[in-house]
Amino acid sequence: MLDVRDIHKWYGPFHAVRGVSFAARRGEVVGLLGPNGAGKTTSIRMITGVFPPSRGSITIDGLSIQTDPEASRRRIGYLPESAPLYPEMSVTGYLSYRARLFGVPAADRPGAIERALSLTSLEEVRRKRISALSKGFRQRVGLAAAALHRPGLLVLDEPANGLDPTQIRQMRETIRSLANDSCVLLSSHILSEVELTCDRVIVIAAGRVLADGTPAELRERHAPESAIQIEVAESEATAATIAVRSAPGVAGVESGKSENGWRLLRARLRTTKEASVPEQLAAVARSLHDIGVVPRMLAPDAPGLERVFHSLLESPGAIDTERAA
Amino acid sequence: MSATLTIARRELSSYFRLPVGWFTIALFLFLCGCVFGLVVLAPGRVASLRAFFGGAGWILLPVVPAISMRLFSEEMRSGTIEPLITSPAREFSIVLGKFFGAGAMLALMLLPTLLYAGVLARVSARPPEAGQLIAGYLSLLLPGIFYLSIGTLCSALTNNQTLAFLATLFVLLALMLASALAPAIAPAFLQPALAWISFDSRIQDFAKGIIDLRHVVFFLAASVLPILLAGTALRARRLG
Repeated sequence: MLDVRDIHKWYGPFHAVRGVSFAARRGEVVGLLGPNGAGKTTSIRMITGVFPPSRGSITIDGLSIQTDPEASRRRIGYLPESAPLYPEMSVTGYLSYRARLFGVPAADRPGAIERALSLTSLEEVRRKRISALSKGFRQRVGLAAAALHRPGLLVLDEPANGLDPTQIRQMRETIRSLANDSCVLLSSHILSEVELTCDRVIVIAAGRVLADGTPAELRERHAPESAIQIEVAESEATAATIAVRSAPGVAGVESGKSENGWRLLRARLRTTKEASVPEQLAAVARSLHDIGVVPRMLAPDAPGLERVFHSLLESPGAIDTERAA
Repeated sequence: MSATLTIARRELSSYFRLPVGWFTIALFLFLCGCVFGLVVLAPGRVASLRAFFGGAGWILLPVVPAISMRLFSEEMRSGTIEPLITSPAREFSIVLGKFFGAGAMLALMLLPTLLYAGVLARVSARPPEAGQLIAGYLSLLLPGIFYLSIGTLCSALTNNQTLAFLATLFVLLALMLASALAPAIAPAFLQPALAWISFDSRIQDFAKGIIDLRHVVFFLAASVLPILLAGTALRARRLG
């Protein structure tokens, strides 16, 4: 579907994107994750044809965005950051305009508009002026316009930006349903959102791809350290700490918050191929049982994408001095 | 062509959805009405709209930049240029669509002034001649289209509407001034060339009721260059 090969972008002497390569297929939600200024939006603008890469190639269904721009752009639906729209138009008026612009045949237009309205739950505001809509609704109008012509590739730049938690959840559900027909490429700096929405995550920093894989793969590769959360009675906390520390595979124990006579402990584990997290969980349980401590809670503490992200960004060479300056 | 018409339609309808569109029309008609009422409808004068066409031609100078200033500047300021240039429409289709939309707005703005011809026909013994009327409207429409092409180019060069308005007005005034002063200050050997490119003399011919096809072709051809340059500016923007 989408094939990005070694794309570069220079703005004068500034090398904004440095050899980004990846491929994505239909039915996949791929997240471009990176700090501000990482090159996410520049990469997205090159993929959507806002401007061409200084070097490298981008193809969509085998069509080059550089040499076959009209045909390849017809296969792309693009929602730029902050969803720019014409405020004076009505929702259906705008969708009708976009359908014409993308060459949706007249006979198919009403159906395409209805489908886009339903997909983004915009039916109740269909006749309203865009200027009268809230930020969340405007974002949905932008998404409806991007998905209107059933593009093979849907590119969404920070789709959850500025939305409240309920709107973010609705946006996530809509994006997941759009992935049934299309390949969705979205950029975000909201880590939790990317983790919940995307099948695959590409971490970009300083214009380079630092990691590419499913959230689980990234956790395994870049944040292998797992942990166990243990909640014990305050009076037994010291003994429990000593016992857990002596359990096999435990690298260390951190004492956490204390609440209503209960203390939270966090045991950092040395994950090895021989001992899985459940096995180590059992070993910790046995150590506590041996000293007669019954924990109120004993649960694995899986590393989130946030830890993966920070681990990647803190790795040597992730952010070079030119950019940091 | 379909993308051009789609963009032209959206452009034209947006003038009527925004206060600035109605304000521009109202201002133009008010000023034209003043010229008509105070100059043309004077008792004892020959039934002719020539003075009206002359006055309206001057009124177009600030009005046309007001029509063209938002064509691209507003798209660039608000960011709507991105969804537009990532659509399958080519750069020149986009520029032509915007230009045609603004041109249709200009034509619609001139339309109500036909009422003046009706009023004049009713109150005067001899109604104005149809040929003179057509030539008079061409004296507004054709330069108006040329002004719009310059406005389209200026708007494609900046994301600031005010700057686009002022730049268009400045270029038009400079052209007018050059056209008027050239015969007096240019060397004799340049006079024929300057006379040929002068649009003021061509407007005067229309105002006299002369419909010269060469003048029609001149204004339409002169509009092509700024449109091509606007398309190039948009392409350059896309090339980053």
